[in-house]
Formats: sequence, C-alpha cells, structure tokens
Amino acid sequence: MKLKPGIESLDTDNVNVSHTSPLREFAILLVSAFALLALVYVLLGLLIDRAVDWIDPATEKAVFGQLSSALDDGTPPTNAEASLQDLVNRIQQCLDPGYQVEVDLVAESAPNAFALPGGRMIVTQGLIDQMESENGLAFVLAHELGHFANRDHLRGLGRGVVLAALSSIVLGTDSGLDAVFAPASMAGQARFSRERESDADRVSLGALQCHYQHVSGADAFFRALKTAGYGDESEPAYVHFFASHPDVDSRIASLKRLSREAGYASGRERPLPEALQ
Amino acid sequence: MSQLAIFVVLLALGYGFGRMAESRHYRSIVEREQRHARISTLTLRTLESEPATVRRTQLVSGNVVISVDYFKRVAAGLRGFFGGNVQAYESLVDRARREAVLRLKESCPGAAHILNLRVETSSIYKGRGNGIGSVEVLAYGTAVYFDVE
Repeated sequence: MKLKPGIESLDTDNVNVSHTSPLREFAILLVSAFALLALVYVLLGLLIDRAVDWIDPATEKAVFGQLSSALDDGTPPTNAEASLQDLVNRIQQCLDPGYQVEVDLVAESAPNAFALPGGRMIVTQGLIDQMESENGLAFVLAHELGHFANRDHLRGLGRGVVLAALSSIVLGTDSGLDAVFAPASMAGQARFSRERESDADRVSLGALQCHYQHVSGADAFFRALKTAGYGDESEPAYVHFFASHPDVDSRIASLKRLSREAGYASGRERPLPEALQ
Repeated sequence: MSQLAIFVVLLALGYGFGRMAESRHYRSIVEREQRHARISTLTLRTLESEPATVRRTQLVSGNVVISVDYFKRVAAGLRGFFGGNVQAYESLVDRARREAVLRLKESCPGAAHILNLRVETSSIYKGRGNGIGSVEVLAYGTAVYFDVE
C-alpha cells in the first residue's frame, strides 16, 4: 500500500463540530426552559388553588395552629393589642374567615400587616402610627381578614413551596441556572399576588360599608404611605413589575371606582381608640 | 437582581474568552496540521511493505487537557435538561483530539509514520459532580524512523 499523507479537513467542512451559532442554540434552550418552567408553575398554582378550597378553616387551624401559637410572644395582651383585637372582632361580624383571628402587635417601624396560616394576624406599630382614624385602620385589618377569607395566605404559602421545589429539583441548587429563573419566577409570583391584593381590597371595602355604613377613610393608609414617600412615581417601571402589591395611586383610584360602582356611602370617620393613639 | 447580573456577566465573560481561545486554538491547529502532514498517522499495527530499513521504533504520546468555559457549561446544562446534541462541547472534543495528535507528532519530528495510533480520554474530573469540567485526551502510537528519509 502506498501511503499518501494528507491533512485534516479545514474548519469550514469539519464534520465533527456543528456550524450553527452557539448563541442561537443557547437562546432557544433558554426560552424553552423558561416556557416549560412557567407552564409547570402555572399548572401547580392552579392545583394549589383547588387544594386550598378543600382545606376548610377548621383543618387549617388544626394544621397550622401549632405554628401560629409558636409565634405568640407569651406576654399578656397590652391595652393596644386588646383594642386592636376588639376592632378585629367587630369587623369579623361583617367578614368572617371561619375562625377567630388573633392579632399581635409588633414593635416594628415599617408600616405593614401580615396574614399567617392558622389565623394569626401581625400588625406593626409603624402601621398604627400612620393612622389617624379608626376607619383607616379598620380597612387594613379588614384587608388582612379578606386574605384569610379568600385563603390567600395558604395560596401564597403553597406557591412559595412550589417555587422552592421547582428551582431545586429541576435546576439543582448549584447548576448556576437557578440564578436566571429566580427573578423570573418572582415576577410571576408578584403578578398573582397583586391580583389577590386587589381582591382583598374589594372585600375589605365591603366589610367597611357593612360595619360603619360608609367607606370614608378607607384609603387613609394609602394616602399616608404616599405622604411618607412610599410608592414614589420616580421608580423605574420594572420595579412595579416585580412588586407584590399594586402601586399606591392605582389602589386609591380603584377604591374610589369600587365604592362608586357598589354605591357605598360616605360619612364621618371615627377617631382611633384611645389605647392606639 | 444582583444574582442575575453576576450570572449574565459570568456568561458574557465565559463566552468572550471561550470564543477567543477557541478561534486562536483552531488557527494554530490548522497551521500545525499542514506543517506536520508529512508524518502519516495510521491505525495499522504493521506496515505491509517497508520502503527502507527501519532504523528505530519508539512509543510516542501526546496529551492535552482543555477546560470548559462558563458559557459552554451553562449551555450544556440546559441541553442536559432537554436532551439532544451537546453542540457546545463538540468543538472541545474536536480540538482536544487534534491537539493531542499534533503534540504526539511534534514529539517525533523525524519519524515517517505513527503506527497503531490510539486516542483515549482520561478523566481527571470524573465524579466531581458539577465541577467546572474539562476534556482530557491522550494519543499514543509507535513512531517508525527509516534509515533513508
């Protein structure tokens, strides 16, 4: 046999490598992964909504009651807490989530309130400080009661678990990919959350009309937030995209629209109970 | 958000440096392959006819380790989810194989043939989980030197 040395084929006709752009392949893979993940997340979210409807308030209390009482600071309720509890009890006559909701006041300067599974509501001192009338405070408390009644606290918990599970099971914790998906899934979560917030606002407004026979002062908290500089319009648009709550202005506007549509009355606001002033 | 920014920067750096290293390597490979084309590499164990007296035979080898860059790793990770051709790694294997054979040839510039050429992958990173990873190729064969060139 006569040997004729040759050279390997040049780059352009190298059969051992693909000649398509690596960026193009990467983009297609990334978009597909996003789409797949979004689909799974939405489906599991719907599943959670179904599951949450099956959990009646008594079951919720039995399952999460332990967690809820573990958060209790153990100290006897202060006058302020007793006064808050009294207000919650009165509103519960108009908006009943199915169990007695217990209120805790925490010494935290940021104005906020949370609904926790098991029927525990946390209100910060900062929120009380922002309030000038009982009606304004009642709206925020009724908003949280609305979350309990709509079972949003369970939905939120369920979605949080799904997100954590998805990112660790599908992507792994150290693949480097979870960094891409975390902000994207956060945005999806936020959109869902904003819808639930708007719905809780609507329910809360109804409770106010039922309890006081008018809805004046309902937007007091949002107006106070605006004055304090929260929800500043100078924020770039993407901040709203990631926000878990609708922005303050649109919430005030939708409260106005809702009460006009439902024909709710306006009236005199009550001063804050003395223990809360 | 900062997590995402770090990720994108790493990805861009990985892509930039990876492409740069790859195109430079390919230029070098093509140029050296032409230069060393005179030494033929064969998988035959013996020559059927010898054009001249064999002066010397010797075991020669060439090895190379090429690391995966961040971009390729992420692209392959995504591919690992959907399945299919891992295009990102194809050029790595191609480069490593050709470079190993080139180094083998460069170790015996006076040889006429390399007989019984074998190409193997060794695995430093095997079992390291999601470590950065690399392609390791070892090429070896028998260099044949003739009396008359």
